[in-house]
Amino acid sequence: MTTQLEGPATRALPAPEVEEARSTSLLGQVVKIVLLGLVVATAIWGAFPLVENEYWAGLALLLATTAGLLYLYLTPRHIPAKYLVPGTLFLVVFQIFPVLYTASTAFTNFGDGHRGSKAEAITAIQTASVTRVPGSTEYQLKILTRGDVATGPLAFLITDPKTGQVSIGDGAGLKPADAVPPAGYTVLNAGQASARSKEITDFAVPTSTGAIRSSGLSRAYEGKAVRAYDFASDSIRDTTDGKVWKADDAIGSFVAADGDRLAQGWKVGVGFSNFTRVLTDDTIASSFLGTLVWDFLFAIGSTGGTFLLGMFCAIALQSTRMRFRGLYRILMVLPYAMPSFAMLLVWRDMFNTDFGLINNVLGIHVDWLGTPITAQLAVLLVQLWLGYPYMFLVTTGALQAIPAELTDATKVDGAGPFQAFRAIKLPLLLVALTPLLISSFAFNFNNFNAIYLTTEGGPFPADNPNAGATDLLITYTYRLAFGGSGAQYGFAAAISIFIFLIVAVVSGVSFRRTRAQEEVYS
Amino acid sequence: MIKWFRDTGWRHLVAVLAVAFSLGPILFVFSAAINPLGTLSSSTLVPSGASLDNFGRLFTDTNFPQWFVNSVAIAGLASIISIFLSALAAFAFSRRRFRGRRSGLLFLLLIQMFPQFLAVVALFLIFSKITDLWPGIGFNTWWGMILLYLGGALGVNTWLMKGFFDTVPKELDESATVDGASHTGIFFRILLPLVSPIIAVAGLLAFIGTINEFLLANLFLRDGASKTLAVGLYGLVQGSDRNTNFGIFCAGTLLTAIPTVGVFMYLQRYIVEGLSAGAVKG
Amino acid sequence: MRIRTAGVIAASMLCLAGVAACGDSKDNDTKGGSAPSAAAASGELVIWADDKRSAALKPFAEKFGKENGVTVKVQAISKDQQTTFLTASQQGSGPDVMVGAHDWIGNLVQNGAIDPVQLTDAQKSGLQPGALKAVTFNSQTYGVPYATENIGLIRNTDLAPTAPATMEDLVAQGKKLVSEKKASEILCLQAGPTGDAYHAYPLYASAGGYLFGTTASGDYDPKDLGVGKPGSVAAFEKLRSLGEKGDGALKRSITPDNSVATFTGKKCAFLVSGPWATADAKKAGIKYDITAVPPFKGAKEATPFLGVQTFYVASKGKNKALAQEFVTNYVTTPELATALYQVDPRPPALTSVLDSVKSNDPDVAKWAEAGKNAIPLPAIPEMAAIWEPFGKAEAAVIGGADAKSTVDAAAKTISAAINK
Repeated sequence: MTTQLEGPATRALPAPEVEEARSTSLLGQVVKIVLLGLVVATAIWGAFPLVENEYWAGLALLLATTAGLLYLYLTPRHIPAKYLVPGTLFLVVFQIFPVLYTASTAFTNFGDGHRGSKAEAITAIQTASVTRVPGSTEYQLKILTRGDVATGPLAFLITDPKTGQVSIGDGAGLKPADAVPPAGYTVLNAGQASARSKEITDFAVPTSTGAIRSSGLSRAYEGKAVRAYDFASDSIRDTTDGKVWKADDAIGSFVAADGDRLAQGWKVGVGFSNFTRVLTDDTIASSFLGTLVWDFLFAIGSTGGTFLLGMFCAIALQSTRMRFRGLYRILMVLPYAMPSFAMLLVWRDMFNTDFGLINNVLGIHVDWLGTPITAQLAVLLVQLWLGYPYMFLVTTGALQAIPAELTDATKVDGAGPFQAFRAIKLPLLLVALTPLLISSFAFNFNNFNAIYLTTEGGPFPADNPNAGATDLLITYTYRLAFGGSGAQYGFAAAISIFIFLIVAVVSGVSFRRTRAQEEVYS
Repeated sequence: MIKWFRDTGWRHLVAVLAVAFSLGPILFVFSAAINPLGTLSSSTLVPSGASLDNFGRLFTDTNFPQWFVNSVAIAGLASIISIFLSALAAFAFSRRRFRGRRSGLLFLLLIQMFPQFLAVVALFLIFSKITDLWPGIGFNTWWGMILLYLGGALGVNTWLMKGFFDTVPKELDESATVDGASHTGIFFRILLPLVSPIIAVAGLLAFIGTINEFLLANLFLRDGASKTLAVGLYGLVQGSDRNTNFGIFCAGTLLTAIPTVGVFMYLQRYIVEGLSAGAVKG
Repeated sequence: MRIRTAGVIAASMLCLAGVAACGDSKDNDTKGGSAPSAAAASGELVIWADDKRSAALKPFAEKFGKENGVTVKVQAISKDQQTTFLTASQQGSGPDVMVGAHDWIGNLVQNGAIDPVQLTDAQKSGLQPGALKAVTFNSQTYGVPYATENIGLIRNTDLAPTAPATMEDLVAQGKKLVSEKKASEILCLQAGPTGDAYHAYPLYASAGGYLFGTTASGDYDPKDLGVGKPGSVAAFEKLRSLGEKGDGALKRSITPDNSVATFTGKKCAFLVSGPWATADAKKAGIKYDITAVPPFKGAKEATPFLGVQTFYVASKGKNKALAQEFVTNYVTTPELATALYQVDPRPPALTSVLDSVKSNDPDVAKWAEAGKNAIPLPAIPEMAAIWEPFGKAEAAVIGGADAKSTVDAAAKTISAAINK
């Protein structure tokens, strides 16, 4: 085959073309300089906020990246890197970092109730315990400052609506005000006050029974934090009943002697406990294998089905003698052009037993999404509809890229169309498409929307609401991690790592087999 | 007649059947879009009435034109850049032999497989920082969204293009090198034109993928004016509004397909003409 | 063609880079011009809501902004509002004010995402007691309610002139209509293939089931799970007898997508749904009446859940003082409540506004009446564990599965999730 091509290949580069190539290399230099200039300009732009906010590590990273880029494109060496680095930069920031970050949460209890730091949990507990002192006055409030409106020290001007008594409050306590506004003070308007929002919400005027705090910008109340954190004993104490919750840094919660936990916890490392939980949880053990098998069937069925149908259509539309090819192509591709989430919902309705289009048109009464086999067929059919235009397009592109000479040559040899296809086009197609089929498999293996928006994993056996007949590992994980008592990111990350390992092994093995092909045809 | 069928007729039959399969559910959407009551109740393809009400409401009650512009801009720019980046990478993977080449390819595949719904937390972490420092490329901006999508540029498309670059005989580059072409020359002047059908296909796929993406866009674009079609439309059928807005939603869904069809029609001549006259006449 | 390709790529790269560079320099100018810290924090209030409510809020938010000399941004989150709010808040890019359902409170509190609000006694007494109770958690008020919602029975009065007194009565009427070919369904109560605990709850409660017991102080007690108790098995028995293998009044093919449409298409006379469904019924020109969901004969009341739409002050908002001002002193005004009612006609939480709209809108009065005995949707975080298993169990028994074993499986899953 390669020998056949050798002739045309050299013909393809007649002398004048080469000359042109040389002359444009000057243009190439100019483009290169402009692009590198833009890199530098972007870096300078990016540097200003970093300097302003004193993010020196970020600045160092920016400088190193820029210097690296300049070096890479100014040196004649490292040719592959020149082509790989631009995409890789984005990949590192927006994919690799998120994945690593997520994987690292598998070793923590990160999830609802344990999202933030211990300090945040303590603040939340104390803030949540501030209650109004019973029977205390509801004051009207104005925010005052002495000196500059943006930086001067704050004070509260509070009015008792019943008595009309006006007082000034600051860190030292309340004192009667002489005038409104008192001499030497300015009243902040809403815009000025909201610029100092944090100071105002943190501001408290101590009183004998608690402290006067703001409630918004126009009202104040006398409140008292019922729970307080004691640094020495690392515990929270309730001042009304004296109950104490001690910090337990192993689980990230404040726990009382009677086992009662405060709701607000914090994120702590839990070692491998999420992983052991995956392995020992009996609901996972009982349903994992079945889900895994179906997940493989689904991924293979989706990829294979769409590929076969897409390829078949592409071959059918390949003839140049055929009319309306353009129109056919557009209409065929339409499913892919429609927003897939919308169409998945439409399909779900079409499968409805009593009202669905499919049963109505066919005049049957099949509970499509109600029994395991029909539900599995249904989701595969939906996948076929959604995915075959993609394969159709890709195969069409691939067929076009196969040199016509090859087909012509076999025609001369007298081979039938089918033989010609099998002998010449299919192998070439597979070279081009095998990597794509592998990645399509990987995509479908984790195709969350395809299941979640159609069957939600159902139908579920009556005795097990955890694993449905069409559940993929990813929808199953999603339910385990988010369906129960709130989000459990750490646990979900641990399951994901297990799934990831499975897919990685499978894809890795099938990828190894492509090496043989690659070496033959390239 | 039989000969006609064997040559061309069966092709038409396949095409008609495939088109029917493709269009079925879309007709369903269409009938809901022109149905004035616009609900999901219609279990037939024939609407109970015909009006352009839903299309009108789409333009008066929502920010549809703005969403449209955002979508086309974000999807257009993101797919152009991402195709360029992945073509560069595919060139390296296909034409250059370097250490870590195969593991790099495998890595690109595997990184795509990590569940997105978990990575969202980390993306929030990154974008919150970016928004603080450079609001111009943070939340609610075109550029923020484009940057985010470029993170996936090296994913599937690199694999797709690498496969096609592999089918172009290496002898072409070798003879070009002999004639004094640099590696950039080979890339831009020899390979890219030869694989233009697949560049067009990949471009179309990237465009479609981006314009229909809504999970991330929903999290990162909250300002009414910054939303894309997918996010805006999804918002119409949330919760109890599902029934009420279904007709408008369908109308919007149909209109969303227009830019995609436009891009397809523009690119079709590359896909079809491409090399049909002979691979190497370039 | 080659040159064209290269040219297009080069040109687009240039224009990209150019835009980025220009945009940047502009940003730099504004930054350099004003004091950095003040410019960043100065008077901006960010409010998050779902699409419908954000549209309704916008004019009022702008008015508030104008009166106070601040900018107010209303942003719409279309999907997973609660999770998005939590994640964004944690990373410091959340809003100052969040609008959402009251049953989020437990989870938001355990994540330290919202602050209690301090309402005056006058403000509290102006609210409907049920709404106030719904936003009270651990004896703190965690938000300002503005509208309530509950489900009821919407009846096509042409098909069914009299309101059924019991569920049995409803089924008999519905069956008669079906046999007379006046309707194709007995009852439109959405279930779907995975069930719908919210809509099934009134029947479940009437037949003797409960979700969580209450503590002495009247709060829900997560330690006392009602699913799996004998009452719940009896209730699921009832659902089963109404289901596909029984009366055929409950069907999995009636889903959230088609239940209202089937009713407005005059294919069934009875719809169990909420205030959001009446707009469609009006548009379809259906004569309807709203009553409470009828109980089973001789059984308990069919109490629906009371849901309360609430404004929350985000703990990690950048502008908390302004957020508190907006939520406690502005949202509580009758004007805003009236406006929100006009966009989305659900009973307002302010008693005075409810009374004034009642006179013009008989539906609102009827919804309030249908929800007279509604119980607040549990706001404890443990409630999250109920929805899915309960719904699936409901779907299974409607399909004819054995009630006892189904409920037991659901109870096991729920308690495993609660005691994780």
